[in-house]
Amino acid sequence: MDVSQYLEIFIDETNEHLQTLSDCIMILEKEPDNKDTINEVFRAAHSLKGMAGTMGFKRMQHLTHDMENVFQEVRSDKIQVNSAMIDLLFKCLDAIEAYLNNVKESSDEGTEDNEIIIKELNDFIATANGEKPEAAPAPAKETEKADSAEPTDGVGYLQLELTDAERNAIRAAEESGTNVYGFMVSIHKDCLLKAARAFLVFKAVEEFGQIIVYRPSSQDIEDEKFEFDFSFYISSDEDIEKIKAAAAAVSEIDKVVCGLVKEEQITAKEKKEEKEVAPPPAQTTAVAMTTAVETVPEQKENKPAAVNKKPVAAKTVTGRTIRVDIEKLDALMNQVSELIIAKNSLVSIGASESGNFQNQSFHDQIEYLERITTNLHESVMKVRMVPIESVVNKFPRMIRDLARKLNKKMELYMTGEDTELDRTVVDQIGDPLQHLLRNSADHGLEDNETRLKRGKPEVGSIFLNAYQEGNNVIIKVGDDGNGIDVEAVRTKAIERGTITAEQAENMSKKEIVNLLFLPSFSMAKKISDISGRGVGLDVVKSNIEALGGDVEVATSLGEGTTFTVRLPLTLAIIQALMVEIRDEKYAIAIGSITTLESIKVNEIKYVEAREVIHIRGNVIPLIRLDKVLDVEKQKEEEEDLTVIIVKKGDEQAGLIVDNLMGQQEIVIKPLGKYINNNKIISGATILGDGEVALILDVNALF
Amino acid sequence: MVNSLDLAEKEMKQYIVVKIGSEQYGIDISYVDNIVRLQKITRVPKAQSYFKGVINLRGEIVPVMSIRLKMDLEADVFTNSSRIIILKLEEKGALGIIVDEVKEVVTLSDDEIERNTGKKDTFINGIGKNGDELISLFEINAIVEENI
Repeated sequence: MDVSQYLEIFIDETNEHLQTLSDCIMILEKEPDNKDTINEVFRAAHSLKGMAGTMGFKRMQHLTHDMENVFQEVRSDKIQVNSAMIDLLFKCLDAIEAYLNNVKESSDEGTEDNEIIIKELNDFIATANGEKPEAAPAPAKETEKADSAEPTDGVGYLQLELTDAERNAIRAAEESGTNVYGFMVSIHKDCLLKAARAFLVFKAVEEFGQIIVYRPSSQDIEDEKFEFDFSFYISSDEDIEKIKAAAAAVSEIDKVVCGLVKEEQITAKEKKEEKEVAPPPAQTTAVAMTTAVETVPEQKENKPAAVNKKPVAAKTVTGRTIRVDIEKLDALMNQVSELIIAKNSLVSIGASESGNFQNQSFHDQIEYLERITTNLHESVMKVRMVPIESVVNKFPRMIRDLARKLNKKMELYMTGEDTELDRTVVDQIGDPLQHLLRNSADHGLEDNETRLKRGKPEVGSIFLNAYQEGNNVIIKVGDDGNGIDVEAVRTKAIERGTITAEQAENMSKKEIVNLLFLPSFSMAKKISDISGRGVGLDVVKSNIEALGGDVEVATSLGEGTTFTVRLPLTLAIIQALMVEIRDEKYAIAIGSITTLESIKVNEIKYVEAREVIHIRGNVIPLIRLDKVLDVEKQKEEEEDLTVIIVKKGDEQAGLIVDNLMGQQEIVIKPLGKYINNNKIISGATILGDGEVALILDVNALF
Repeated sequence: MVNSLDLAEKEMKQYIVVKIGSEQYGIDISYVDNIVRLQKITRVPKAQSYFKGVINLRGEIVPVMSIRLKMDLEADVFTNSSRIIILKLEEKGALGIIVDEVKEVVTLSDDEIERNTGKKDTFINGIGKNGDELISLFEINAIVEENI
């Protein structure tokens, strides 16, 4: 699969994670025992590794994996943070940054293996565990390079046919006492930008002298009219090994063969050949000079063009678009919010002081204003909506890679990729979904033999279904694998001291399964780079909750597991029904309301000591909001009750309120960090008269 | 977070003097964002008991704490001179605390402050002497802390 369109996201996210890492390491340097920071550092490294893996940047993944290992040891208190380690970690960050810069420039991570750093990391862990540092694993790549660099095969540069002018130039160089070296350079077969590589080689060697002969011609090299090798002669006073090293240092160069060239050698060989008409030597140098100059701008144009090729192709599909900084949209959104608050206060003035504003046109204008602000808000919201496609499209490739790595057959089925979500949500939903999919692939699915034994299809299926439901977007991620072994989780939790045996007795299956969302609770028996370090589910949960959503898990042993992620469609402004309970006002999102009912007290029935009502064939449990919200009791109960029927997934419930105040567009504001996060209240809003009303989170009432 | 102790040792500091019950308290002025009259406070169900609720401060939602309840004093009696002092803390944002009365701003140098050393679990980090009057100086970070 083509991942180039995600490069931008990858680069952004990597930058972000690198920043987090470096910030956290700075903190660790000062407070080596700061658990939160260690956890954060670990998560960032983990995400970084996952992302590099997804994009197929193996070297980067390798390095981050080993870095993560170190954090793992720190997290489990096996290693103390010390200054040597901090130094090493910063070296790692630099190396990762170097990869990232390569990626930015050429969509490729480059060829630097950073074996030294990786060895140091491993030594670090080994010494910490009381082992002697192992001898470094022979850097295979480098030996290979060294082998092939030996001029064993034909000295290609000697076979060149030279023009008289070039021969004159060589002779002239020899006469003036400088050496002429012949070079043959082979470029890696997978190299996409051969001309760029060639240019870099020329640039590197030109520091040592002047190139007098190009084969193929410099123009052809620029136009990539060559296979995988090219040759040149250079006149230089420097040592040949230096030049060779400079040329070989350019990435994606497979080998460099070189040697001293004597004019007689060439002449001797060429004597048999017919002489060509020699152009004046002056012109040759001029050509050489101009080409050298020309290659520079040419090169600059070349690179971005090649890098952009694929993203550009992807963009054309979406039609005419412009890229807008999300911050600008946020600012616009805030202004729309303010406008709506101002409009709401005008509406309430109009309503309360209607005596003073009998003018019909005043009300008309307010209604007009209302329509405009609503439309404006919708437009702004739509601008911020993007399909989740951009995030989920990287998953098939990931699953394919995982299938190979885990040696399990599996297939990913996705639906609803065109489901739209607020951009900020989409940006942050990638990580959690990725974790869930990896979990499914690694822990969820059984290996092929087990599946066959159990009578399941050999190829495991993993699914990701997204769809909109009211004001929420639901994303279900799951598999048809083994399911979660609730008993095993229970045992493990007791073993780890997460819960006591007595507590475990009283916990429902659902509560036990929810233990998996606790930090550092992993069921994996061995650590792989896919999952099983106990980061993951807790991160998934906290990430999703930070977006105002929630995650649930349903599992059945032997049949599979499904994670249901519920996300709010919009973050800032919603349509809400305002209700009154005694003298307090609350807002309930319209999206979660199905119907409004008026019932008599004597219609309330009891099932298992719970109040329910029976409406159109459905038995719906009642929730008395005044009790849930600790509002003062009413002296006498009213005969008629107002019930709001709300839904969460397939479940329904009836909320009893005192009064309905009507529908209103409200701006969601956070309650701040001081007040204990009680899940029933998801935020607050400011009403037209400046009063604050709280927003009920219906999902938390079930 | 700025350590108010360190700063106070070097320079003169300004405090807003407020009255809670019969005692006078000083609040480091660098934490104070605003002082507003009492307005309708919207109760937040299930919040910590010492949080009276939230108010609308120019379009932002600001939680309001009863410092009396936090310090285990008797509940607030709201009068015409009651005020909400809006504190601004870098990490957690704005927070309002209810006081009975705002009196004045005083400048205290370090030798006018008697530090209570060794005592823990207190909201007071020192006693300031302003003429004959004694002012208990609030440790803002302790007030903001979740548990006493």
